[in-house]
Amino acid sequence: MSEESANCTICRQPLGENGRCQHCDEDAHIWTIQDWRPLLNLSLIIVLGFSFTRLVVGIFHEKQNALGAQYYAAGLQTMEEKRPAQAVDAFETALVYSHDNAQYRLKLTDALVASGATGEAMAQLQAFREQRPQDAEVNLKIARLEAQRQQVDQALRYYQNAVDGVWPESGDPVQQRIAARFEAAEYLVGQGRQEQAEASLLALAGVLPLYSPEQRKLADLYLRNGDPARALSIYLTQLGVNKKDNAAIFGAAQASFAAGSYATALRYLEELKPETAESQALRLQLERMEALDPFAPSATGKIRTERTLAVFRIAIQRLAGCEVPFAQALANSAKTANAKDPEQWSGFAKWAEQLSPMMNERKLRGRDDVIESTMRFAFQAERAAQKNCGKLTLNDEALLLLARERMGASQ
Amino acid sequence: MKPRSVRSREALLKLMATPVRRKYFETLRRMLGPAGLISIREEQFFLVLAIAIGVLAGFCVVLFRVAIATARIWLLGSSMRPSVPRVVLVPTLAGLVIAVLAVRFFPRVRGSGVNQTKGALYIYDGYISTETVVGKFVLSALAIGSGQSLGPEDPALQIGAGVASALGRWLKLSKERLRLVAPVGAAAGLAAAFNAPITAVLFVIEEVIGRWSAGILGAVVLSAISSVVVERWFMGDESLFRVPQYHLAHAGELIAYAVLGVVGGVASLVFVNAIKHLRPRLRRLPQWSQYLQPGVAGLLIGVIAIWYPQVMGAGYEWIDLAMHNRFPWEVLGIIAGLKLLSTVLSFTTGTPGGLFAPVLFMGAMLGGSVAMLEQQLFPSFGVPVGAYALVGMGALFAGILRAPMTSVFMVLEVSGNYSIILPVIICNTISYVISRGFQEVPLFDLLSRQDGLDLPSLEEEREQSILRVEDAMHPTMGRALLGDESIASARSISGSTPEEYFLVSLGEGRWSVLSRESLLDPANDENMPVRVLVRARVPRLHLDQSLDVALRFIKDRPMLPVVHRGNMDLLMGVVSVEDILRAYRKAGLAEPETAEVS
Repeated sequence: MSEESANCTICRQPLGENGRCQHCDEDAHIWTIQDWRPLLNLSLIIVLGFSFTRLVVGIFHEKQNALGAQYYAAGLQTMEEKRPAQAVDAFETALVYSHDNAQYRLKLTDALVASGATGEAMAQLQAFREQRPQDAEVNLKIARLEAQRQQVDQALRYYQNAVDGVWPESGDPVQQRIAARFEAAEYLVGQGRQEQAEASLLALAGVLPLYSPEQRKLADLYLRNGDPARALSIYLTQLGVNKKDNAAIFGAAQASFAAGSYATALRYLEELKPETAESQALRLQLERMEALDPFAPSATGKIRTERTLAVFRIAIQRLAGCEVPFAQALANSAKTANAKDPEQWSGFAKWAEQLSPMMNERKLRGRDDVIESTMRFAFQAERAAQKNCGKLTLNDEALLLLARERMGASQ
Repeated sequence: MKPRSVRSREALLKLMATPVRRKYFETLRRMLGPAGLISIREEQFFLVLAIAIGVLAGFCVVLFRVAIATARIWLLGSSMRPSVPRVVLVPTLAGLVIAVLAVRFFPRVRGSGVNQTKGALYIYDGYISTETVVGKFVLSALAIGSGQSLGPEDPALQIGAGVASALGRWLKLSKERLRLVAPVGAAAGLAAAFNAPITAVLFVIEEVIGRWSAGILGAVVLSAISSVVVERWFMGDESLFRVPQYHLAHAGELIAYAVLGVVGGVASLVFVNAIKHLRPRLRRLPQWSQYLQPGVAGLLIGVIAIWYPQVMGAGYEWIDLAMHNRFPWEVLGIIAGLKLLSTVLSFTTGTPGGLFAPVLFMGAMLGGSVAMLEQQLFPSFGVPVGAYALVGMGALFAGILRAPMTSVFMVLEVSGNYSIILPVIICNTISYVISRGFQEVPLFDLLSRQDGLDLPSLEEEREQSILRVEDAMHPTMGRALLGDESIASARSISGSTPEEYFLVSLGEGRWSVLSRESLLDPANDENMPVRVLVRARVPRLHLDQSLDVALRFIKDRPMLPVVHRGNMDLLMGVVSVEDILRAYRKAGLAEPETAEVS
């Protein structure tokens, strides 16, 4: 043993016979170059262990991924077969083998929603969102669930997150974002949040290319949101590009109709070839309105009186449907009427009794004032009956629309 | 032809033929020699070795997890809900095979592995046979993979300890280091299995080592971290389950968590008592029945699994689902109860496998059940099921395994969310207190005593009050002698007391002891200072130091000074061996519990 190795490395005192320092009682065993040989062997073992583990784990992961894909495919299949409960099982098993596969997890939430387990779907999505808060798809799914649960503000928050979030590059992120904006706007329109919807639609208009096909969808939403002017402007822009664009023509007709420009609407509808069921229904409505309008430009004196008589008859029938007792009204017993506002009904009864003697072709001829009064009576009677008196006939609807055109929406 | 060794020697001599070359070789030899540049002391080497242990244990645990998953797929199929024949037959037949192998070839692999590792540390000087490691690996993988209600963590702990032990023996570590190397490997194994290094370190300290030891802490931490790095390298850094985010919305929620703590405490008591009573009874049955017990347990578990497949294996995939509202509260409660029963069956029949995972599983199900019930009763609370499941895990961990610190840190580490700490502490404490109040001996201590071993536990040590110097010291009779005063003056002081020894203050906190005989020796000049009579200094003590420290310092010395920490020349009292022994006798340490051994 050399002199150096005979001394303790800590206190430099001589070591005892057992190789331990008597002074500081520390084990002074020193690892020399000879001791490094096992360490080199140890390094070799680690390298070999690493290689072996890598090989085994590689095979294992391959197997796991294959099983994950197999169960995922089975899940998709059962989803297509409308068996969401089985799909949930399949997707859950797929996730056991591919624990962090986002696609599998999103599909699982779809299956959960389809099977009615919205609570679990929401919990899964929220957990997913905690991991990837910027994931637009996740936010969109949460927004849909919140919308389903009537949590409007939450839904809007997640829709906004989806719009601002990160979309997968596999699809077209711009298009996906626009689709999310449309969905959010549609939801707002559906919820009757006109101002928020308008802001959302304006933002959407800002990002949509001028002549893109989505413009029509935007115009439809404007129309549904009660902004026919903007809708019409978009449809007209579309027609500027293609005058034979039937969808744009019909849209323009609808927008004009909504704006109360019935004549314009009818003009657009006449340009539409071929007619669709929807356009036909609208045209019939407009024609019915014209058929009841004594002040239409096409109406001659005779037609005008005929239309007035028809309108009076429709209004009386409508009020009769409300059980307004005209005879009793005259006998001062209107208070027994089965209506919520007896005085109102009593007024209509009196008004009807006053007009009734004038209601023949001869007396109406040249009496525009009586025609005007009859129309006002009919409009007000229809409006009053609208709230309380059951289902509308097509003629009642036509009269209400005419009322809107003549008297405005506020009255 | 000359032998190879001779040829090498001749070549070396030839190389060293010139003085310059000889000098160069001499320098090289010195550099590589014992005090050279690349030589290190064993304690330094131990830290390097801890990393190697962590890496190797990490490999083993990764392979162990792969083996369990592969066995599961081979035996039970890849579906989460295996077919009825498989569910019934596989655990039964696998149980029979396991029993034969365990009884005939691997008798030391039965049980969880925690106590076996502890036994290696305290009884066998860190020795865990390679055969045990292999047996534990194979049989545990087979048991868990075939659906026995056990988990992989505790076996991983023992496998890690076994790897470390084998490595230590191969590297011819000293006996002291070899003993310490087992817990280092245990921490690595547990950390890799649970993917949580802090939890593993704390558990090993609380349950295996049984005490905080600075000497080994560094190595334990290093090995745990390196094994987790290996585990994440191969298996990814995904946690065992995705934990929903949590924030305490209202302080009133804490009451609800307290309810969970009570439920957890009661469930812990049921579980521990079931094992306490059933295990010894099963072990007392005839030897031939040992071959059947795991098979019968497997059959019963299989029957349960026909309706509730969640009870099979570790069940982490189901914990994840339970955390995300997969099951209604009553189903969660039923699953928790059946899992408890299944785990008791698997464990008491001696099937190799761990308790960690089943305990967490039961906790998660109970937590989820309580949460969903509260959701129904108090819809305005907005009770988060995931958070309750997580806290429930901690509650059962604290109640059953009785490792309170580990239970808290485990939840924090698994969730990565520190805002949950308050509910966790409340819930775990209640559960721990209930378990502690009605079941004196912790589960692992109970098991070791049933096995005829008496291993130390941190919980018992905590109960024992620490005796301090102030409990033993007595005041000095008169003042201490001063080093600078004359021998004549010191003699006059000694005349006023009957003491045989006197403390001498040498200034600056240095003290010595002088015998009456030396002081009164007529050969000494009376005008000389007392300092000249002093031979050696003695260590000083402080009031708050433990008597264990005092006993180590005192050796053959008649007494030691107890001084003020702020003024080390100020004598507070003295302590002698007799004082220390008197204090120990007076304290009367609690005797070990014997009533529990049945």
